[in-house]
Amino acid sequence: MSIKVLMPHMGESVVEGKILRWLKREGETVQRDETIAEVETDKADVEIPAPRAGVLAKILAGEGATVEVGAEIAVIEEEARAAAKPVEARPAGAEREAEEEVEEAGVGPARHGEGRQKITPVVAKLMERHGLGIEELRAVEGTGLGGRVTKQDLLTYLDRRGEAGTAAPAPPRAEPARRPAPAREREVEGAEALEEAIEEIPLKGLRKAIAEHMVLSKRTAPHVTTVAEVDMTTLVEFRTRHKARFQAEEGVPLTFMPFIVRAVAEALKAFPHLNASLEGEKILLRRHYHIGVAVATEAGLVVPVIRHADRLSIRELAKALHRVGEGARARKLAPKELEGGTFTITNPGVFGGILSTPIIHQPQAAILGVQAIRKLPVVRDDQIVIRSMMYLCLSYDHRIVDGATSVQFLQEVRRHLEDPLGMLI
Amino acid sequence: MTRGKPSAGEPEASEAVSYLEAIRQALWEEMERDEAVFCLGEDIGAYGGAFQITKGFVERFGAERCLDTPISESCIVGVAVGASLLGFRPVAEMQFGDFISMAFDQVVNQAATLRYRYGGRESVPIVIRCPAGAGVHGGLYHSQDTEAWFVHRPGLKVVYPATPFDAKGLLKAAIRDPNPVLYFEHKGLYRRAKGPVGDAETLVPLGKAEVKRPGEDIALITYGPMVPRSLAAAEKAAEEGIEVEVLDLRTLAPMDRDAIIASVRKTSKVLIVHEAQRTLGVGAEVAALIAEEAFEDLDGPVVRITWPDVHMAPFSPPLEEYCLPNEERILAALKKLAAY
Amino acid sequence: MPKKLRLSDDDLLKMHYFLRLSRAFEERLSVLHRQGKIIGGIYSGIGQEAITVGACYGLRREDFICPLHRDLGAFLVKGVPPRVLMAQVFGKGTGLSKGKDSYLHAGDSRLGIFGNTSMLGANLPVACGLAYGFKLRRQDHAVIAFFGEGAANVGDVHEAMNFAAVHKLAVVFVCENNLYAYSTSFEQAFAVPEVSVRAQAYGFPGVDVYGNDLLRVHGVMQDAIARARRGEGPTLVECKTFRWHGHSEHDKASYRTEEELIEWKSRDPIPLFERYLTEKGLLTDEVQRRLTERIEQEIDEAVAFAEESPWPEGPEALEDIYAPAEAEAAGDQG
Repeated sequence: MSIKVLMPHMGESVVEGKILRWLKREGETVQRDETIAEVETDKADVEIPAPRAGVLAKILAGEGATVEVGAEIAVIEEEARAAAKPVEARPAGAEREAEEEVEEAGVGPARHGEGRQKITPVVAKLMERHGLGIEELRAVEGTGLGGRVTKQDLLTYLDRRGEAGTAAPAPPRAEPARRPAPAREREVEGAEALEEAIEEIPLKGLRKAIAEHMVLSKRTAPHVTTVAEVDMTTLVEFRTRHKARFQAEEGVPLTFMPFIVRAVAEALKAFPHLNASLEGEKILLRRHYHIGVAVATEAGLVVPVIRHADRLSIRELAKALHRVGEGARARKLAPKELEGGTFTITNPGVFGGILSTPIIHQPQAAILGVQAIRKLPVVRDDQIVIRSMMYLCLSYDHRIVDGATSVQFLQEVRRHLEDPLGMLI
Repeated sequence: MTRGKPSAGEPEASEAVSYLEAIRQALWEEMERDEAVFCLGEDIGAYGGAFQITKGFVERFGAERCLDTPISESCIVGVAVGASLLGFRPVAEMQFGDFISMAFDQVVNQAATLRYRYGGRESVPIVIRCPAGAGVHGGLYHSQDTEAWFVHRPGLKVVYPATPFDAKGLLKAAIRDPNPVLYFEHKGLYRRAKGPVGDAETLVPLGKAEVKRPGEDIALITYGPMVPRSLAAAEKAAEEGIEVEVLDLRTLAPMDRDAIIASVRKTSKVLIVHEAQRTLGVGAEVAALIAEEAFEDLDGPVVRITWPDVHMAPFSPPLEEYCLPNEERILAALKKLAAY
Repeated sequence: MPKKLRLSDDDLLKMHYFLRLSRAFEERLSVLHRQGKIIGGIYSGIGQEAITVGACYGLRREDFICPLHRDLGAFLVKGVPPRVLMAQVFGKGTGLSKGKDSYLHAGDSRLGIFGNTSMLGANLPVACGLAYGFKLRRQDHAVIAFFGEGAANVGDVHEAMNFAAVHKLAVVFVCENNLYAYSTSFEQAFAVPEVSVRAQAYGFPGVDVYGNDLLRVHGVMQDAIARARRGEGPTLVECKTFRWHGHSEHDKASYRTEEELIEWKSRDPIPLFERYLTEKGLLTDEVQRRLTERIEQEIDEAVAFAEESPWPEGPEALEDIYAPAEAEAAGDQG
């Protein structure tokens, strides 16, 4: 029975994936759940397990191919056909024709692929024993995995060589054609070339996805950004007092983020339009609070989602944030962890930014930028005092949210952060 | 010497008998041959043993030489040790091999070290029979294969026959061996394995493996209950042009290293199959031996097909089936290795 | 002596010799240990000599003893030459183990001695096996199985006593109750007042005896051994005593009081027996002096032998794991 292997769904915003490499070749036996391919998506690199055991009968998308989510990438035959020896199964089509052509030309078959390079201990021993060098090995027909020369292949070759009387010299291997050289290697005369050097980075993967998403978001939603200022002194003192103990007990650091996520979750309950999306002619107010928290990774911004953030305690939030943060940086998050967010928090403040105008993560209604906490002189009771101050920058979709609502929402967040004990009630 | 036996008729040496009958014959013949041989265990006397192996023994040899013991596994083994110092050849039975845990100290400290700590002046010629193995709906305590514990312990010999011929020949040899021998017998093979057996003086030597099926392409190294399954898989593989050599270890300690290396040299590809768990099972030792002494003869990785690292055996049939290495898994591994 | 005992003057003097030899041997071990000349665990039986001598004197060669770590005297009485025992303690190739194991973990079936492992109580099932073998051969030999009151709580002891009782085996179970198992006092480990009461639970007699009285011990043991030889089954003989040293030479025995030690030292079994011998006119100063000289000489000789004996070679550690198959073992003893 034929089983289709599909490009899996990997996050609601992911529409395609690129085959990085196939770990199995056509004709090879695969076990159920065995990894057969690696795929790159915008969010993470994913391993594709075989849905059933059988033989990988056909690969429909080769390495480097970009395929839509849900499309077929391979076919597995469930019952291995009792045909010729499995070792004789070869990658289909063109390669074999090429071999035959080359053979006709009287030259040893030129083969590519990594299997060719594997020399097992017994093969190495036989080579040494019979004075066969690497060059001559190229003349040996390999029937093993990936074109590997097996012990039997070598013995067969040696038999024939013995009969023929002389060893056929191996032809030099054809060099693979080089890609067009990048700009910096083009010939430019003079020192001027060095001063005007341009480094090219192809737009792909996560970077490309971000680029496309940002344009889409700005094009879709009329963005307005409103700013509130929060006195974080109480929280700063609280955190200073408790962070060492927390770290010792929980093994993760206590940052301000759990409190901010908590404050936001509470405020979203009071101002549901900030936790909504516009679909066609309908505004959908979501009564669940899946808060995405943007994490900066080497490849770009990734937004893991903390589901039902309103139900988690500060401890649980701290641990969850730590876990997804680590996961995001290691690019090891499951697709499920990157989708389903209803509101997003981003934290440019961690790099020192004091104000920002973040771009909304579609299809959400708003995004909150958390800025740096700085000690500033402020006026309290007509006195100048030093307080730890932080700006909150909320970008919202003006189709869904009005200015007044946005300001009130921010004030609610501020209230919670300035009076954190109030959140306990 | 006449051979009175409880079962009807006396099978010819070449007639097919069951694995269980082969064990019974070996025990009977050795007890007839040598007065020093006696059996002890639970319910082995008048009842004839949990598996009816000693049925009729009391009538022939008397209750003292076919001794019913209280439920005292540790004492059973200790008594065997003590008697053996006087020149007896006791064959102790653990009703289920799983229960050897109750006698662990007497086996691994008392019996295993005696010769060593006596400076080589004396030895302990005992046999401990252990009905073992899974696939019999035995749950966690009537399904274990514990051979690896004892292979690891110096001073003990361990055997695990797969056929009636080997079962009979190995038991006779084990009884005549001056060392403590753990004799594993697979419960599932008792009645399912049938075949010819040797006569009263046919011994299967300890420490010698046997090629049960010669082949050129892959050496399948195995023992016990996996031998028949491996042979069946080998037949199927042959239909696809893969010729598998099945090497039955028969003795796990001391292991027949020469036979292992010879099969590896011949085929250059190795599949190890055993019923017991993977980690630190006998297969791990075989694999290490091959990597160390036959590295340059390898044309592919050394693969093991075993029980997973969970208990032997979960009770519910689908769970046990899932764990039991079967013909399909063996065949799939053979094909994959052949293609490497 | 108890009326039924038939001990000649020669027997009495021999028993005295063994008491003094054991004592001197173990005292010397203690010195050698503190001099750093011997290593490993040394478990002194000083103060308990009346039990090993009383139990083992007069046994047949074919009778077996199954002693534990504190029964060094038993090895001497049963016929192991002092020099071999000393070499064993030193770990030399001329000892019973040829260096493979320490102290009293080796035996010799030709002398009727079973050497146990360090697992207390594990010697009792083996004792039952020996006795069962005698039964199969219809021989009336006996087996003396020693254990301390500490070991009395090990599972093997229970299994063995039951087995011996069921099959009426010729085993005499000798419990040397010296009141302390390492640091654990009797009261901490038992809910019964004595070990001997447990015999009843298995179905054979349990006897209590003052372990420092050599003739009393010997008398009780002879009764029990005779019972065993007659096929009447096992006996549990509990001998109350006290060890003067710690559990091992490393142990300062802080768990006992000075008072206890003084009390029991005042009951030293050797002077107790010597008073009897003196009363009988068997032990004069001259006899004692000559005996002391003789024993000193024997111990000195044993130490010299042990010191001069060669160490085993490293590769010997790989030997004696398996016995060769019988055809090859024709020359092997054992």
